Amino acid sequence: MKRLRVEAPQLIVIFYLIILAVSLKFIGISYIDMINESLIKWVMNGVLVLSLIPMINVGAGRNFGLPIGITAGLIGMCIALEFRLEGWLGFGVSILAGSLIAVVFGYVYSLILNRLKGNEEIVGTFAGFSFIPIMNIFWTLAPFKNRQMLYPVGGQGLRPKINLDGYFAGILDNLLKVDIGRLVIPVGLIFFFIVLSILVYLFQKTRMGIAMSYIAENESFVKLSGIDINRYRTIAIMFSNVLAAIGIIVYSQSYGFVHLYDGPFMMAFPAVSAILIGGASRSKATVFNAMLGTYLYQTTFLLSVPVANAFLIPEMSEIIRMIVTNGIILYAFLYEGVKRRNEKV
Amino acid sequence: MMKKITAFLLSLVMIFSLVACQNADTDKEASQDTSGDNVATEEGSNFKIGIVTPTLSVSEDEFRAGAEMVEKYPDIVKHITLPENFNTELETGISQILSLADDPDMKAIIVCSGQSGLLPAFEQIREKRPDIITIATMLDEPELMAEYVDISFATDWVRRGETIPKKAQEMGAKTFIHYSFPTHLAKEAVAQRKEMMEKTCKEIGLEFVEIITPDPQTGDGPAAMQQFLREDIPRQIAKYGPDTNIFGSNCPMYDVIIDEALKLKYIVAEQCCPTPTQAYPTVMNLEIDAEDLGNYDKINQLIAEKAKEAGMTGRLSGWAMPSSIYVPKFEIELAKYIIENNLELNEDILNVDFLGDFSEEAMGIRADFRPLDENTNNYYLLVLESIYY
Repeated sequence: MKRLRVEAPQLIVIFYLIILAVSLKFIGISYIDMINESLIKWVMNGVLVLSLIPMINVGAGRNFGLPIGITAGLIGMCIALEFRLEGWLGFGVSILAGSLIAVVFGYVYSLILNRLKGNEEIVGTFAGFSFIPIMNIFWTLAPFKNRQMLYPVGGQGLRPKINLDGYFAGILDNLLKVDIGRLVIPVGLIFFFIVLSILVYLFQKTRMGIAMSYIAENESFVKLSGIDINRYRTIAIMFSNVLAAIGIIVYSQSYGFVHLYDGPFMMAFPAVSAILIGGASRSKATVFNAMLGTYLYQTTFLLSVPVANAFLIPEMSEIIRMIVTNGIILYAFLYEGVKRRNEKV
Repeated sequence: MMKKITAFLLSLVMIFSLVACQNADTDKEASQDTSGDNVATEEGSNFKIGIVTPTLSVSEDEFRAGAEMVEKYPDIVKHITLPENFNTELETGISQILSLADDPDMKAIIVCSGQSGLLPAFEQIREKRPDIITIATMLDEPELMAEYVDISFATDWVRRGETIPKKAQEMGAKTFIHYSFPTHLAKEAVAQRKEMMEKTCKEIGLEFVEIITPDPQTGDGPAAMQQFLREDIPRQIAKYGPDTNIFGSNCPMYDVIIDEALKLKYIVAEQCCPTPTQAYPTVMNLEIDAEDLGNYDKINQLIAEKAKEAGMTGRLSGWAMPSSIYVPKFEIELAKYIIENNLELNEDILNVDFLGDFSEEAMGIRADFRPLDENTNNYYLLVLESIYY
């Protein structure tokens, strides 16, 4: 049960959430609507957060290069849209094509990261950032023919956003919805998330998964035991990228648009923030961390803006939210740092 | 040693390419000149209009407008572009503009660019070739532009703070919601427009609601803002009812705003940058055929059809074409009209009624012009006529 322990940073966020929830009562937003929205938001972003786990556990740092995996998923969706595949077929083909591309991207990405051990986070950030302009060229030049995807003025190149209505928008959101009074639980969506989470969990329990977690803890020891570290890292990075590709597809079906070009630019940061709030450290993250962190982070987002809009000067609401969420992330870092130092002493 | 050789080779390549390109250019220009002359003698008229725009990657609209006008009048319009990073290469930009004035047939020079600092070019043109008509749309001080440029046009972003709420009321709105975020409200034009909207709403009896969204320019990017709109708009409509107009100060907001409008049936009187090509094609999944590209009537018609399907006729509105495409085209048409009819730049042309009528005749859309102030008659702020879907 040690893994499920909730530590100080999470307690602070939970406390903040309770304050927000109580103040909701005064501004007349119903709790039930909020719970409905928070569940969808949880899964919508959850898979992206989940994708960070394999890389953290193999010691490759928090994956700030998330845009690379996301892009693979975007290409997967574009391929499905190009052939006008609707419903489950479109969704399935997106995931399949996205995963295949993610494996290729993950391999190339791992070649870079394996040469720059120890600096993965900063390298990943720049790899992600520099990958986006390259993909921008791809989006404009790729020979897609479906006119619903192309620019309306020039007629060449993909639109910055492509609507998924009529393809597979909301396909998971609306799967097996269970209504309990006004409370709507998207069972299918949550089920999909839990299946993925269990996969990640089981992966950690395999021989390979266990070996990976030791790489993060003590690399030279594992090396001396005759394990090819780079191979394990490559596999973990590819796995992370595949999950990120699936993550963006889940995100997009919920959001309703495929967001190309600069869309994935900043997506690594909320995901990393979420897993930090969930209590992950630099070299150890669990599925529970990802699930808890995403729920807390996204729900704070959901609640704080309307509450602050109602109670404070409107211009202040956004600033306060930034201070609180970023402050908590900083606190999580400090907490982790201090704890580590105490352990050493 | 290797390094030196490489450096030497590289510099050779550079010199070669410089020289080679220059030759090709002069050849091309010379051939263009002769062909231009031939046509001109055939037609009996002999003039050219030069248009200067940013490059495609800097601003698609102005560039495409220029390119389309070259296609329309291949013998008259000459289209050149400013350097890519124009802020650091002002000198190059100025000399490019001046190069147009070297052509004796050049009768008008038009500069359309969202930047400032190119005014010295106009000063020199006036010295060197006083017969050339200059028209500009730039971000320099309006007073200075009125002094050095013959006619200037600019889109009137602030006045829209007054026109949008009024239009929303005509369309049946009782509440006016304004979505924005701190870094955007720190921009003067946005803040002024918001204040203007608030004031106008009060005057005409609309309820003004201001809502702040997560900031897309910090941390979490535009995704967080759009997600917030997805959640917040249904709440607000539940609170204020569908007779509500929603305005967002940032372009990426409109994908969500219009998408939700089709579901919740509220009013969108105008986008922040009104154009049929923004958000509508994405949200409505428009399929624009290759031959209809740039055909705004057709695009507007498609939008109107989709709006009707959604039962939204009369609740969506915008401008028939983006002002950044309208303005360069209009300026070329105006210059052509003045030169062809040998007109003087006087009150006959520089008045609000003539410009409005001319716009309707030449462009098919009416625009509402307004001079900068009482003493200036050659700097106009314009708002385009609305189209209701």
